[in-house]
Amino acid sequence: MSSHREAPAISQDPVADNADTYAFVSPDDPTTVTIITNYVPLEGPPGGPNFFEFGDDVLYSIFIDNDGDTFPDITYQFRFRTTLQNEDTFLYNTGPIGSLTDPNWNKRQLYSVRKIHSRHNDNHERDGGGDVLAINLACPPCNIGPRSTPDYDDLAAAAVHRLPTGETVFAGQRNDGFFVDLGAIFDLGDIREIQNLHLIPSPAGESVDPLKTLNIHTIAIKVPISKLTRHGSRPSDPASSDAVLGIWGGASRRKVQVRDGHSVKGSGPWVQVSRLGNPLFNEVIVPVGDKDRWNALDPSDDSSFEKYVNQPELAKLLPVLYPGAFPNLAAYSKDRADLHAILLTGIPGGIVPGFQNLTGPKPADMLRLNVAIPPTTKSPNALGVVGGDLAGYPNGRRVFDDVVSIELKAVAGATIPLVDPTFTPDAAVGAVSSYLTPGADRYQSMFPYLGTPHDGFDTPSS
Amino acid sequence: MERLSRRSFVKIAGAATGAAALASAPPIARAAMGEEGAQPTEATAGVPEEPVVAYVRDAQRGEVTVTSGTAEHTYRDRALVQRLLRAAGRKGVS
Repeated sequence: MSSHREAPAISQDPVADNADTYAFVSPDDPTTVTIITNYVPLEGPPGGPNFFEFGDDVLYSIFIDNDGDTFPDITYQFRFRTTLQNEDTFLYNTGPIGSLTDPNWNKRQLYSVRKIHSRHNDNHERDGGGDVLAINLACPPCNIGPRSTPDYDDLAAAAVHRLPTGETVFAGQRNDGFFVDLGAIFDLGDIREIQNLHLIPSPAGESVDPLKTLNIHTIAIKVPISKLTRHGSRPSDPASSDAVLGIWGGASRRKVQVRDGHSVKGSGPWVQVSRLGNPLFNEVIVPVGDKDRWNALDPSDDSSFEKYVNQPELAKLLPVLYPGAFPNLAAYSKDRADLHAILLTGIPGGIVPGFQNLTGPKPADMLRLNVAIPPTTKSPNALGVVGGDLAGYPNGRRVFDDVVSIELKAVAGATIPLVDPTFTPDAAVGAVSSYLTPGADRYQSMFPYLGTPHDGFDTPSS
Repeated sequence: MERLSRRSFVKIAGAATGAAALASAPPIARAAMGEEGAQPTEATAGVPEEPVVAYVRDAQRGEVTVTSGTAEHTYRDRALVQRLLRAAGRKGVS
């Protein structure tokens, strides 16, 4: 979770595994939108000497649909290139790394950024074209420890690049902001706080967040809103369809890879191997036999996955795993129009006062961000729209949004009354939660918003 | 065209004519050369389940490598290389 190792094929390919995608109006610069896509899930901080990095042979993309047809109108592409300063040492660094050009830093990555405007309904403009916005931008090193990276925050700050075209970009290691009790939830849907009610009961316990000591690799871009909307404007009316952006991330590999001796070369077109819009969609909604296919397809192809949203497996499991706790959910047999709206079309106006993020009738898994809704800067609610905070998920997704609780509650029936007033949610919906509050070090108030990565010296046990 | 070892393919390639090379080429080579209609293969006989891959290993030397299953064979066939390069949309080498 939210999409860490979520499908059979991509679980074998961490550098291409899009683990989380975030999109929100930047709280410290509300004229911009920040989009973050994370890769290389579950990084243990001490993982040297070849510390974690992006794949030189992977094409990383961020897609934006600004007219509701579910096809990307704007695509940002990121390609990486690893360089060695000294091939005659096994060390990642041969002394303290004091800057992004420090000769002590042996193995480093540079990257390029390309922007493509799609003029046709074509999902596959992944093969070049567009405009090169920047080349040879430096990533920061991984956070190794006090001897190697003594001033890590300075290195990370130097790796925030402001492009002449108006975008700000960062690519490198960060603290993974996602939180969930992985060990419990995949032990037959256990929630420790209410496991005394589980089909296989044990005394109630306290949730554990295994991600709180793990890192991730982040690609983040901050873009002026006017560069993303269909008419080049900065919408101020939340009810306007111009204000809604569909956003998702994806990673692609070349169709053919030829290994010859120590040489590895790619050939052929880019083939998508990972994508992510809504958190947990492929993880929890799509069954394992269809997960790899989902990753290879585009949001515009998602009609074939509607059936999994309309009749989600998890909604059928909850009454079984927690006997007697979900009688109303167990008896509900209608298609889940609430989940269909949240995940596949956006929520139309008139359902949640002052809010809509409808992109149209075509089903597609995308984050849907209404850019006319200002960021909540005072006491934001991690439960987002469900918690009365219209700037949070499913209005895009902020780094601290508790998407596990939001989606668990929604699947458990909390959002059915929005579309079917005859339904009364079970009392147990209130007890369905992640029960986790991440520490403040997970995030920061400025771009790229995810906190300083854990260093391997001080976090050696992960 | 014959299967070649690294030491032997030079002299064999030098002796073979284009027609002779084509006549002895495996189906994948003929398909790549646009001859797949001449000797159709049975879909159920000897068709590998995995992709058969041919790639130009060295255009200047006219080398093509064909992989099928866990086997790999390298051939020298300048005409085939030329055709593959043309099929790839790139100008052939002389």
